[in-house]
Parts: sequence; structure tokens; C-alpha cells
Amino acid sequence: MIGPSRVAELDMPGAAIEGASTRPAQSYWNESWERLRANRIGMAAGILILIFALIAILAPVFSAVLTHFQPQTIDLSQTFSPPGGKHLLGTDELGRDTLTRLIWGARVTLGVALLTVAVSLTVGTAVGMMAGYYGGWLDDLLMRLVDTVLAIPAIFLFILMSILFRPTPVSLALIIASVGWGQVARLVRGEVLSVKQRDFILATRSIGARHLRLMLRHLLPNVLPVLIVAASLGVGQIILIEAALDFLGLGIQPPTPSWGNQLTNAESYFFHSIWLVNFPGLLIFVTVLASNVFGNAIRDAFDPRLK
Amino acid sequence: MTQPLLEVQDLHTVFSTKEGWVKAVDGVSFELHPGETLGIVGESGCGKSVTALSIMRLQRPGLIKSGRVMFKGEDLTKATEAEMREVRGREIAMIFQDPMTSLNPVFRTGWQVAEPLRLHHGWNAKKSLTSAINMLGKVGIPSAVDRAEDYPHQFSGGMRQRVMIAMGLTTTPEVLIADEPTTALDVTIQAQILDLLRHVNQEFGTATILITHNLGVVAGMCKRIIVMYAGRIVEAGPTTDVFAHPKHPYTWALLRSIPRLDAERHEPLKPIDGLPPNLVDLPSGCAFHPRCAFKIEKCSRDVPALQRVGDTQLSACWVTQAGTELKGA
Repeated sequence: MIGPSRVAELDMPGAAIEGASTRPAQSYWNESWERLRANRIGMAAGILILIFALIAILAPVFSAVLTHFQPQTIDLSQTFSPPGGKHLLGTDELGRDTLTRLIWGARVTLGVALLTVAVSLTVGTAVGMMAGYYGGWLDDLLMRLVDTVLAIPAIFLFILMSILFRPTPVSLALIIASVGWGQVARLVRGEVLSVKQRDFILATRSIGARHLRLMLRHLLPNVLPVLIVAASLGVGQIILIEAALDFLGLGIQPPTPSWGNQLTNAESYFFHSIWLVNFPGLLIFVTVLASNVFGNAIRDAFDPRLK
Repeated sequence: MTQPLLEVQDLHTVFSTKEGWVKAVDGVSFELHPGETLGIVGESGCGKSVTALSIMRLQRPGLIKSGRVMFKGEDLTKATEAEMREVRGREIAMIFQDPMTSLNPVFRTGWQVAEPLRLHHGWNAKKSLTSAINMLGKVGIPSAVDRAEDYPHQFSGGMRQRVMIAMGLTTTPEVLIADEPTTALDVTIQAQILDLLRHVNQEFGTATILITHNLGVVAGMCKRIIVMYAGRIVEAGPTTDVFAHPKHPYTWALLRSIPRLDAERHEPLKPIDGLPPNLVDLPSGCAFHPRCAFKIEKCSRDVPALQRVGDTQLSACWVTQAGTELKGA
């Protein structure tokens, strides 16, 4: 023991004060979670997204139990039924049940959004981290690449790629992510540059940790809050981009339902069957709004100073 | 004399800047013996920290241009990165100036203190944590079992520095480099941490390099000190001799610039005239000569080498090497 009596003696005042700490031991994550929970509007938005996600996952159950229709079942005797009765939200020009198609469309739309976020976060984080951590020529090279990607007008790139690759949910996600990773890379690089300067990185090097361990074990958790915020804000943006591409006929192709292409489809019948426009439009609006509100709530929770 | 544990020979570390090469460490040589506490003193930017980082090969973006760092018969400047990783944290540990930023905020302290054990001994989480908690207790963290579960922000500065010391000691390294371990702490805590370092030195026999700009810290801790100025060693020797009879005008001036309890009352402190030199554009000859009260003509022309002056000291000064005593107002 290192002079136990001496050390104990020295520690007494400080120890007593710290021992009597009134605040329970809480981690950064716990504290953030507490702040998020206190934000009612943010939590409502989060729960709403969660409900939509559940509906999307359980689409087959819902269409079997709730609506009793399949998304692609055509019934030409029931075209343009208004909401109510057998078809809760009406039918479209081929007699397909709108609610069923919206439920299945949630699968596609939210699935594309999720996959896009996952891909762009993974690629963007890897690139941003390497650029920020190693610096030098690698940083220059990677960041000029990002600049290039971000300098190309995204909509033209999407159009071009959608023509080259037949848009399926997966390919559409990859197309959107091919631009999305750039922003993430920039964000992560900036964060890494600031975290890298802190002494604990040098301290961790001084105990013999290798670069990969430093990046994954020590840097990544410090960048994670930024990533989570980027992800939750990204979902809304991606849904809008996807809807726009669908609207231009470059997104998900009918008969596969997505919220975007349902909206496109409804365009022609705007004057006599307004519900075909209203319901997908409302869903997109609500989901994007919820995603943005929830993203902001998470940001505030992680960094209360920003509020 | 025993065989030195660590031997730094003519180390040159440079940094590339827009204005040219900065010689942060310019021909530094010293040795560290087992169990010894060596003090390296000097003002900010004199190259003490870079010397320490160069030993660990963590001086980047600096470049070790020449020189050798002999540790257990091996030259660390020539070791591969993998070999260096084995040395770092296992045989040479380092603690840093600012305990507030030296711990990763997202991990529990116990986990962090245990990390060297997992890295170097391949111990599992449970075994390494037990050992870490034990070490936290030894460095004076009260109720270490509970505190190991806490995050760094729940510790005070002094407690964090204890945590850092515990982290450095878990693998019982042979050398501990403490880079200004008390600078960021307030005075009462400084005394506790120095006390702890002294106990560590006695208990584990860890040879310690104590880097500081505080002469008072060195006086109480180190048998031998090295005084650095502008990347060079200007004086070295046993602490008592250096303090009693400084053989370099810089040391002499430094000692007169700090308050002393035994000084005459109302005797004003004497700051050192002038400013620390610009490392990109060092003065010719002895880098200290523009601020030196004893300078002779030779000083602005030739760089003095570090040579024996008196019985026990080394000094890089033309004046004292010629036998002149440093005295006067």
C-alpha cells in the first residue's frame, strides 16, 4: 500500500464531499435520455415514428386483420370508392384499397429511408473518421472527393442513376446514399478533428493502443451523438427525396406501393378523388415533421446548451 | 553507478512550420537510473514535453531527426510501431498535464484504468477490473469499488490525476513519465499528487521523470535535475548543488525569480529580462545570451557544449566553464 494512513488522511476532506454527492451516479447517456424523456413533443414524435415503423413491419398482419385486402388486388367494380364502408380510406382507379396500399407503402418508404441512413452513415463515418484521424494527404484526398460529390446537383445525379439502374427499394436507397454519405463524412471529420485534440487520445496512445482501437473504441463513441442526430434528421429528408423521385417516376415503380408513387398516381384524379392525394400526402407530411422534431429533440438532449 | 535504465543520447526532434524547421529538442542527452526520480525543468516551449513524447515516439507531427533512446539495450528510435506499442503503457507509462481531458468522457473510470491490462496482458474484463480497482485504492481513491463505476466527469481534478496515475501503474512499468502532473491542479491538491508520486516511486521502485516548470516541485521530489532552455540542456546535476550554486545564468536567474521564505523581507523578485527566444530563429551562439547578465563576447558567437563545471554539475555556459562564479544583483 502507498502509505495508506497518509493518503487516507490527505483525502479526507475531498472524499467526504464527494461521498456525500447528492446527484446519483449517471452516465452521459442516462442524462441525455432523461432530458429526452422530459421533452414531451419530442417523445410524441419519436413514439409516432415507432408506431409507423411497427405498422410497416407488421403490414401483412394489418392487411389481413384490419383491411382484409391485399395491396395489389385489383377490383374494377370498386374503382374510386370514397372513404368509408368496406374501404376505410377509399380505393384508387383500379379499385385497390388505399389503406392497405399505405400500410404496405410504409414498408417501402420507411425501409428505403432506414437503409439509406444506414448506408450513408456507415460510409460517411468511415470516410470522415479516416480523414479526420490520419489527416495529411488522405484527408485532402477524401475531402476533395466529398466536395466533388456534394458539388454535383443531387437531383440530376438521382435522375441519371435512376435511369441507369432500375429503381428497386434497395437500389433507390443506394442511389440516395451515394450522395448522403458526403454530408456525414464532413460532419464526422469535423467532430473527429476536435475530439482528436483532446489529451485522452494521446493518453490512450501512450498506453499502447493501436490506431484502429483508438478509432473504433475511443473516437467512435465520442462521435456517436452527432451520428444519432444526423440519422434522425436524415430520415425526414430522405423520405422527401424518395417521394420526389417517385413523383418524377424515377423512384419505386408501380405496382409496388410507396407513399411517393401513390401520390404521383393520385395526381391525375385530384379533382374527383381528393382522398387519393390527401392520405399519402398527410402521411409524408406527418412522418417528415415527426422525424425533424424528434431529431431536434435528440440534439437538444445530447447537448442542452444548444436549446 | 548502476547501469542506466533509460539513456537518451543526442536527441534531435524537429517540427516543420511555415517559417521553417523548429528544433524543439536540440541535442539532449541524459540517463535515468532504476528507481530514480529525475526532474526536467524549463519554461513553456523549451522542449521538455517534446523530449518526453519523443522517448515514447508520440512526438508527431514532430520528427526525430537523430539521436538514440536506449531502453534495456534497445534503441527505441529504431523500434517498429508494433514494438513501440509493447513498450508504451507496459514498460514506460506517461501521465499528462491536464487530468480534465486525459480521460475519455464516455467510459467508466474502472474500465479505462484496466485498459492497459487488457491491451498488454490480454486479461479479461473482470480480472483486469479487479486489478484496476485495487490500484485505484492504492492511489487513494476512496471507496474504489463504487468509484470505478463512475464516469470521469464525476471526479475532481485531483482525483482524476490519481486515476491517471493508477492507469499508468496497473502494468507496473519501469519508467513513469509525468508531464507537468500538477500544473492544472490547485496548490493543495498539487502537494497531494506529489506526495502520491513519491510514494509510488518508493513502493513500486518506478523510475520517474518529472517534467515541470515549477522549481519548488523539483526541489522536494528529485535528487537530480536537468534544466532546459530552447531545446537544449543548459545545466544538470544534483538538485541541492544546482539550487545552492547554479552554474548556468539561466538557472541562476530562474532561482532568483521565485519567492523564498528565507529571503530578506521587501527584497523584490527579479524577473528574467527579455522574452523566451523564437525557436524558428534562435539567437546566434548561446540561445540565452540576449537575456544573460554575465554574457561575454564569445557567447553570441559560439554555442557552448554541456561540460563538467565544479564537482557534480554540468553546465553549457562559457562564463562558468571559465571558472567565474555567478553572483550579484
